[in-house]
Amino acid sequence: MEDLTKIPQFVIKIFGVNLVFNVETIIMSWIVMAALILFGILATRKIDFLPNPFQVVAEFIIGAFYSLTKDALDAKMAKKYFPLICGLFMFLLLSNWLGILPKLSEPTRDLNTTLGFGVLGFFIAHHAGIKAKGFKGYASGYFQPIFFMAPLNVIGELAKVISISFRLYGNILGGSIIILIVSHLIYGLVLPPVLICFFGLFVGSIQAFVFTMLTLVYISVQVK
Amino acid sequence: MTLDVPTTVKLASYVGAGFCIGLGAIGAALGEGFTAGLANQSISSDPRKSGDIIKNMLVGQAIAESAGIFALVIAILLIFLESPGTSLVKAAALVGAGLSMGLGAVGSGIGSGYPGGKACLGISMQPTVSGRLTTNMLIGSAVCQTPAIFSMVIALMLMFLDFGKGAVSPTWAALLGAGICMGFGAIGSGIGSGYPGGEACLGIARQPTASGLLTTNMLIGSAVCQTPAIFSMVIALMLMFLDFGKAPPSPTWAALLGAGISTGLAAIGSGMGGGMAAGASCEGVARNPDTIGQTTTTMLVGQAVSQTPSIFGLLVSLILMFKVYPEATTLAAPMALLGAGLCMGAGGIGPGIGNGMTAQGAVTWVARNIEAAGVLTRTMLVGQAVSQSTAIYAMVVSLVLMFVV
Repeated sequence: MEDLTKIPQFVIKIFGVNLVFNVETIIMSWIVMAALILFGILATRKIDFLPNPFQVVAEFIIGAFYSLTKDALDAKMAKKYFPLICGLFMFLLLSNWLGILPKLSEPTRDLNTTLGFGVLGFFIAHHAGIKAKGFKGYASGYFQPIFFMAPLNVIGELAKVISISFRLYGNILGGSIIILIVSHLIYGLVLPPVLICFFGLFVGSIQAFVFTMLTLVYISVQVK
Repeated sequence: MTLDVPTTVKLASYVGAGFCIGLGAIGAALGEGFTAGLANQSISSDPRKSGDIIKNMLVGQAIAESAGIFALVIAILLIFLESPGTSLVKAAALVGAGLSMGLGAVGSGIGSGYPGGKACLGISMQPTVSGRLTTNMLIGSAVCQTPAIFSMVIALMLMFLDFGKGAVSPTWAALLGAGICMGFGAIGSGIGSGYPGGEACLGIARQPTASGLLTTNMLIGSAVCQTPAIFSMVIALMLMFLDFGKAPPSPTWAALLGAGISTGLAAIGSGMGGGMAAGASCEGVARNPDTIGQTTTTMLVGQAVSQTPSIFGLLVSLILMFKVYPEATTLAAPMALLGAGLCMGAGGIGPGIGNGMTAQGAVTWVARNIEAAGVLTRTMLVGQAVSQSTAIYAMVVSLVLMFVV
């Protein structure tokens, strides 16, 4: 039970500063990236009127997310932000599914990954807001409804980063803790695989979609 | 009168049994009453179908009853248990088991009543699909029982696993906290997952051709409603299995109890709120099945934001569990930590329900006016951000209590 919250770490000392790398998370993210690049190559290698299976899947994902992005932003901005949204979804989906394979674990089980994406979405949304409304229009948003609400509005924006990243982290880590403890307590062929399917495939897909949609609507709230 | 350890453990098991069936009887009775009330309404609108309706009512009530029966089983086990425990830790674990099962049965009992009652109404509206309605009701109510089953699993673990190895002082709080966390945490998800079940039954009666879509939508909605209960279960499991024996007993006991209270209470509102959004989505899909994609998307975003207070609760619990405390000599430090847990937990209830109401409104109107989906989703988010600010105040105060005081 001691491996409940343990993360393998790799520490390098440079100029008296300890640089800590979470080895497992980094390797797993590389595996996900490699798989995505492979998928991209396979899907676009022979683009044809009669598509190969990879092209069908790619066209389905891209079509669905392009229309979602266009609904939330407008057509011009959708062209700009769509690659981010679609890439984010595919990375998170594959990351959350990775845990169903033996010996592999989800990179999203590490708070650093999800917090990284949360901070990324935060900066992109606020950059988009400043670009769309100008700095004055953007900053005046913080003094709504009255000027002394400004500190609370700032805290509210920061709380969005916490909630979006802890939502994904909590769901994935929670699932893996429940699976670990259940498989420690019972030696069953039925219950652990069912739980792995529920948390890995179902909750993983829902949470990847929710994270992506929230990043998108946070951008959309800032620009409109 | 002196109390030795075995007597205390026995006393604790009696107290736990009392909590267990006393609290556990609340929910099942309320749910069954709701079902029977709607069955009366259905019979009065179509008396010729009374046979079908009464049969459906009894099946629905039987499922709502199962939450109460789980509590009864745990209570009887607690009374007649020959406890292996030889330390006072076992006493806390047994009280925790009773609280976990008793509180956990409340939500599932109430929630299971909704699909039962709405299925009766559906039969009186559309008698030709009564078989399909009963099936959907059974699936919907079975999902409502999930939080009660989580609670029963935690209660059984607390009763039968041996926690005697650790030091008595912080471990008793961890086990009691685990029971409290799971018990409270199951309430919201149990009630919440009843709403989509009920609306899906009513929707199948209104639009029988969409019954497959409605059952799928109900399952997605009610599965996402379980997230707060799953968070509570994770905190309960961490409290049970992590080793807190080396930490100084004095402020740690309060931190662990606070960790349980924080996630447990905060999950109540989030579970109910997520259910409201899911119910509105089932109602909307029944009204206009073509809108299912956009309605489900808005529902998922709305549910995710409704869960934010329970995520704040989870954050406070994790900090309370993993922070390193110096030994405390006065009661000030323990009370600050207990207060932090109570503050975040109780402060999370209202925002969760409020966010759920916002999401319910947005999802309902997306289904009726799909062209406005973009602006409705944005309005929902802005409204939820404001309604959530009270949860943020609670989080700020509990962070101050943990780090400054």
